[in-house]
Amino acid sequence: MADERESLSPVKIGLGVLWPVCWTGLPIKLVFAVLILAMGMAQFEGRLGIAFLMLLTSPVTVFAVPTITMGLESHLGEGVGIPLLFLISIPIDIWAFGVVGRTFFLENLRKEPPDGLGLTLWWKSALAGALFLPMLWFTVSTVTETAISTSRSLVEMESLRHVFGTGLPVAERISIELALWGTVASVVLIALLLIGVSLIGWIIRGTAEAAQPATENYQRLITRWDLMRVPADQGLMLTAVTGAGVVLSLLFWAVLPVTTTHPHECCKKPDVKAQPMFKPLDTLNKNEQQIAQMTAQLAMLEQQKAEAESEKDKGKRKAQTGKDAASSAVKKP
Amino acid sequence: MQPKLKSRVRCADREIGEVTKVVVDPLSHEISHIVVSMNGSGERQVAMGHVQSVTESLVELRVPSSEILVLPPFKRDDYVTTHEVEISHLEEKIHVTPGEVLVPYPELEKNVKRRTFFMNFTNVITFLIGLPLAYPIMRYLMKPMYAPFDNAWLKVGNIGKIKEDDIGVQFEYKKKVKEVYMPEYEIEKNVWVVKATSALLDKVYQGKDLEFRDATGTALWTNKKEIPFVAFSGKCPHLGCGFKWRKHKVLGRVFLCPCHLSIFDASGKVLDGPAPRPLDVLPVRVSVGGDLEIIEMEFKAGTKSQVRII
Amino acid sequence: MEQSSIPGAQSTATEKVIAFLDDRVGLKQMQAKMLNEPVPGGSRWAYVFGSVLLFLFLMQALTGILLMFYYVPTADHAYASTQYIIHEVDYGWFLLGYHFWGSSAMAVCVIAHMSQVFLWGAYKKPRELLWIVGLALFGIVIGFGFTGYLLPWDQRAYWATTVGVEILDKTPVLGDFMARFLKGGPTPGQMTLSRFFVIHVMILPAALMGLAGLHLFLFRVAGPAGPFRGTSDEIKAKTDYFFPRQIWKDIVGMAAVFATICALAFWEPVVLLEEATPDPGDYHPEPEWYFLFYFQLLRLKIFSGEFGQLLGAVALPVAFMVLLVALPFIDKDPERNIFKRPIALVSWIVVMVTMLLFTVAAVINREFLD
Repeated sequence: MADERESLSPVKIGLGVLWPVCWTGLPIKLVFAVLILAMGMAQFEGRLGIAFLMLLTSPVTVFAVPTITMGLESHLGEGVGIPLLFLISIPIDIWAFGVVGRTFFLENLRKEPPDGLGLTLWWKSALAGALFLPMLWFTVSTVTETAISTSRSLVEMESLRHVFGTGLPVAERISIELALWGTVASVVLIALLLIGVSLIGWIIRGTAEAAQPATENYQRLITRWDLMRVPADQGLMLTAVTGAGVVLSLLFWAVLPVTTTHPHECCKKPDVKAQPMFKPLDTLNKNEQQIAQMTAQLAMLEQQKAEAESEKDKGKRKAQTGKDAASSAVKKP
Repeated sequence: MQPKLKSRVRCADREIGEVTKVVVDPLSHEISHIVVSMNGSGERQVAMGHVQSVTESLVELRVPSSEILVLPPFKRDDYVTTHEVEISHLEEKIHVTPGEVLVPYPELEKNVKRRTFFMNFTNVITFLIGLPLAYPIMRYLMKPMYAPFDNAWLKVGNIGKIKEDDIGVQFEYKKKVKEVYMPEYEIEKNVWVVKATSALLDKVYQGKDLEFRDATGTALWTNKKEIPFVAFSGKCPHLGCGFKWRKHKVLGRVFLCPCHLSIFDASGKVLDGPAPRPLDVLPVRVSVGGDLEIIEMEFKAGTKSQVRII
Repeated sequence: MEQSSIPGAQSTATEKVIAFLDDRVGLKQMQAKMLNEPVPGGSRWAYVFGSVLLFLFLMQALTGILLMFYYVPTADHAYASTQYIIHEVDYGWFLLGYHFWGSSAMAVCVIAHMSQVFLWGAYKKPRELLWIVGLALFGIVIGFGFTGYLLPWDQRAYWATTVGVEILDKTPVLGDFMARFLKGGPTPGQMTLSRFFVIHVMILPAALMGLAGLHLFLFRVAGPAGPFRGTSDEIKAKTDYFFPRQIWKDIVGMAAVFATICALAFWEPVVLLEEATPDPGDYHPEPEWYFLFYFQLLRLKIFSGEFGQLLGAVALPVAFMVLLVALPFIDKDPERNIFKRPIALVSWIVVMVTMLLFTVAAVINREFLD
């Protein structure tokens, strides 16, 4: 590596900076992504992979995303959370470019990093991405579409002339088609990506040319960028990070849905009917009314019973005399 | 100071060699012998008792060399090195190597502030990984612990069953229970109902209507002090046993719990025994047709204050 | 030590406790020996996957234990209890989602870790035993995924397991025995669920903990291999200790993986299909996504017919595993720079591309099934 620094190609420079920058910012961006997903501010459906990649490479995609999603009509997903995430990633990426840029300048380019390196590298890369990536997206999608239809007709043509009377079996057909257009699309994608990366490398080299050479020996340079990662005021930094983490955790607890957002048929929650207001006075009055009613009913029943009894008595006496008459009639032989 | 390996050994009369080995007692962890080279004529094991003084490079013995020479030759096979046997803390007590064996710090590790920063930062991140999980896990585990009350009215029987005033009448009923995803099953429960005269009602309610509130504090039901039917929970407030209505030799007709012999009168007041509070009164209502209904409640056993659990 | 003691002042309670422990146990020296391991060439992000796997296992164990508070491994209540967790228990859906996506994360990280070791040539002498124990751990992770998948007892779970065990059945001589052992009978049922549960919850965790301990021990004995290029001066200049730098990178890796799993749990919460029935109906059986490539591979015509099935279900995977186990003994060249090992580089690319190709093919194939 030491003797390669003179001949570092733009691709190597571009890759050597972009790769760490993207991964450095990712853990912090992920924290906000999780919060936004928990709040339901973003839905991705099938495009989660692409969305993840675009967020990961936000140093170059941040201004390309609007063009790609609107101009080329390729939606990443729904929700206000997506542009919000990209907005949040801007300061994160500027910081990441600063750290990685200074490391790379010292170790690989042997140059003194100028002030504001993070910001400079960021806006230049974002601009380059904004111009280059929509072109890449358009090219790769066109090539892929063409490759898919070409390989499909190729395979169908093949299957007509094939030994199997009914054409190639499904699994083989899919694999061959996929291999054909997959290779073409991958080659084009990788080539364009390499061009893009070297573009970034060329930008970085341009920035480095104006910088002062770093004169220390290798060990000193390594130690410098290593210690650069230790903040001047550790207590402050750690307290701030812990505090921010606690606040975000509390927010997370507040927004986390208690039950699943994708319920199953089996367990649909019944519509909660609003409970009728409980009015104690009304109930008491109702009770009193009921009691009064019941007492009245009771009185009526008793009256009825008394009447019925007297009727029965009358009836009984009649029956008794009747019975007596009957029995006496029977008894008299 | 402990004798150092390779230091010279001198007897009262002359030098006899150097220390080639040191023997340690495995129990006391102390040096018991040194082994002297005897300048090539066979090593000898010399007890520390013979040692007069020890310096960094010299061990002086208090006996003449002739005494050492007559000792039997040193038998190496009777010994093992400290690497071949497990004796705890032995290495900490033994300092017989002259000088030290050192390994340099890597350049990047020489900065103490750097080490402490990354150590603390690691602890912070570990804490922040665990923290978001703490609350959801707690709520998850606590889900069935404080299940809301089921305040449904349950019919337990008809007041026609009660023939006499001021006596305990047991009403047995079946309660349907469904625990989460388990199939529904029935349990048998009972309450004791008393058709109370106004004197007894006074003793139960003490002149005040009995209000029942739910968990949020909203009023659920009120037992009016004029309604003559009082329903007591079938579980004794001491430890939850089912109690009976019996005739007591001295106290007359009472509720008696067979488990620990708590005795309550017809108003539920504790007459004797370990019960910490009177019998628990349940919300009760009687329908027009005479059906007796209660809201099923259970209370924590063994406490002076009434704490509802079901 | 986090508290710096002012010289001369009374030591704090913490310091006293630590001094007590140190005197009894040799804490300071043990800590130094465990943590102050120099990593040649310095701590690297590429090395985090091993620690991340350990973290993932701990998280799976934690969420798994929590799930066991409500899950019941009987055929009549497995489905209902899982639905209970998803729909009724507070945050149950989130913990189940984490457990589900965590298992996918483990599959991905295990491939990443194996790839990193392979590409860095860290399986070569003297690390052969490390590699072999690692392969056993890989087998255990696959076992976890396979056994855990059955537990919800919905159509997807039941049929993926049935097909998987049928593949195992094709093994000559031992196949029928092994299949009956796993199924607990001739057909899948309650016995299968009980066996899969005890394997998933007791046997595999115990095996994993034991083998992981052995793996760590062997790693410490052999030492980290370090980067495969750079002059010795450069490597020495960058060398630092395992603690704190590599540990810190490991923790950040764990945090990133943790956040990713949470995000996945939100994006695609676990939704069960209908409860398992012996009749598949309209449902097309499919294994977990990380087995899809193999599932698709077996659809090729060369693997049909009795001989073809033997080839695809038994010979091919066994041959591949044997090759992996024998790798450190076949490849004796001490060169570790991947760019100077063309066969290794090409083979790795071929294997990765094949797995990717057939996984995508399996997804495309779904449309052709109707």
